[in-house]
Amino acid sequence: MNTTFNDLPHDTRLSAWLDDELNKEQRAEVEAWLRDNPDDAARVRLWAADRDVLRARLGPALEEAVPTRLEQVVWSHSPSTLSSGWQRVAAGLAVLAIGAALGAGLAWRWQRSNPAEPVVSGDTGWEQRAVTAHSVYVPEVRHPVEVAVAGKSADESRAQEEHLSRWLTKRLGMPVKLFDLRAQGYELVGGRLLPDAAAPSAQLMYQRSGEAMAPRVTVYLRKPESTTPAAFRYERQEDLGMFYWVEGSTGYALVGALPRDQLMSLAESIYKQGQN
Amino acid sequence: MNAPTAFRQQLIATIPRLRRYARSLVFDASDADDMVQTALERALAHWHQFDQRRDILVWVISIAHNAYMDERRRLGHVNSVEPQDLQDGPDAPTVHTSDPGLRLDLLSALQRLSVEQREPLLLVTLEQLSYAECAEVLRIPIGTVMSRVSRGRTALRALLDGHGPTPTGTRSLRRVV
Repeated sequence: MNTTFNDLPHDTRLSAWLDDELNKEQRAEVEAWLRDNPDDAARVRLWAADRDVLRARLGPALEEAVPTRLEQVVWSHSPSTLSSGWQRVAAGLAVLAIGAALGAGLAWRWQRSNPAEPVVSGDTGWEQRAVTAHSVYVPEVRHPVEVAVAGKSADESRAQEEHLSRWLTKRLGMPVKLFDLRAQGYELVGGRLLPDAAAPSAQLMYQRSGEAMAPRVTVYLRKPESTTPAAFRYERQEDLGMFYWVEGSTGYALVGALPRDQLMSLAESIYKQGQN
Repeated sequence: MNAPTAFRQQLIATIPRLRRYARSLVFDASDADDMVQTALERALAHWHQFDQRRDILVWVISIAHNAYMDERRRLGHVNSVEPQDLQDGPDAPTVHTSDPGLRLDLLSALQRLSVEQREPLLLVTLEQLSYAECAEVLRIPIGTVMSRVSRGRTALRALLDGHGPTPTGTRSLRRVV
């Protein structure tokens, strides 16, 4: 570096000095220059200040608790496991593409849950809470949701939706997105925060558009204890149907008094949107 | 063969630094964590290639860099985060400074740098890698690191507050708004 140092552009030398990348002679040379050239000295001070602000601005990320899913990735990884994250988005879409080809019912790994099945983790029973929450809030006429998204204008509604999503994201400690089910004829009514076993969960309520006593469905979202993807399951309790699954860092349960195929098309849309 | 426990422990210890680096590149916290996850999976898949005499952080950061470049290629270099979303998003890291205008300016200015300038600048200033380590991560010559860091700095400053040298003395954060 010695021989070419003086051929380097001026700023490059100053910058390398700031990063402490120079040898003794080079350093002395730059320092002498800075003493005689206050304008350059001021510029280097600004660079140093920018560096400090960058560290201050991005430093707090170091203090945050590491998401469990990232640690689990490290502990559970074996060469045979399906990689997740971005790569799983592609895998999920592939599953759906096959579903389209074969008929969703075949490709989806849905199965009727069987009480005799062995329980594989402590992370069970939450889907029952989803059913209970559905039954409690769906009949409500005046207060079906805690935060309603209907506004006087499209802008106001959008602002309410953003608020709802931000609030639930913050309280659940995971990204909560509001699914758009308008293609299936359902409008978002709003959402609420609910207690779950270890942390809060969220309920989003949707109502079929354009009918006074239109059917409502709810989407129950929670942070699962285990981020192991769980197969789609379908359960029916009298007139209520439910699809539930775990994907990524979210447990989903879709509940509604609908025929299975209608509920499945909603579940499929939620699944796709959850992947994006 | 599976990665040994000791390697997994080393890898876990790098997660906070990886997350910070990822967030400085993609800004959205959830996308950043997806990038970290991809990097961790790749590191585990290639654990036997890691030379224990080297710094594991530099090694995983270079994997994260590759994951980032792959993702950029996949997305066709589209950056979807708007500066205004950085201000009050629930995932935005908290920062204790009295001047929100500065935070926004700094991050949006950073985002406007070309990735060729942004990455070396972040690796050297934020991650405090040496030029040699930075060159290793990015697989470019040290001389290129030097000039990109310098140009990145100048460009960032130009974006932050116009051009030309400014008065010396104590620097108030407010002056860059």
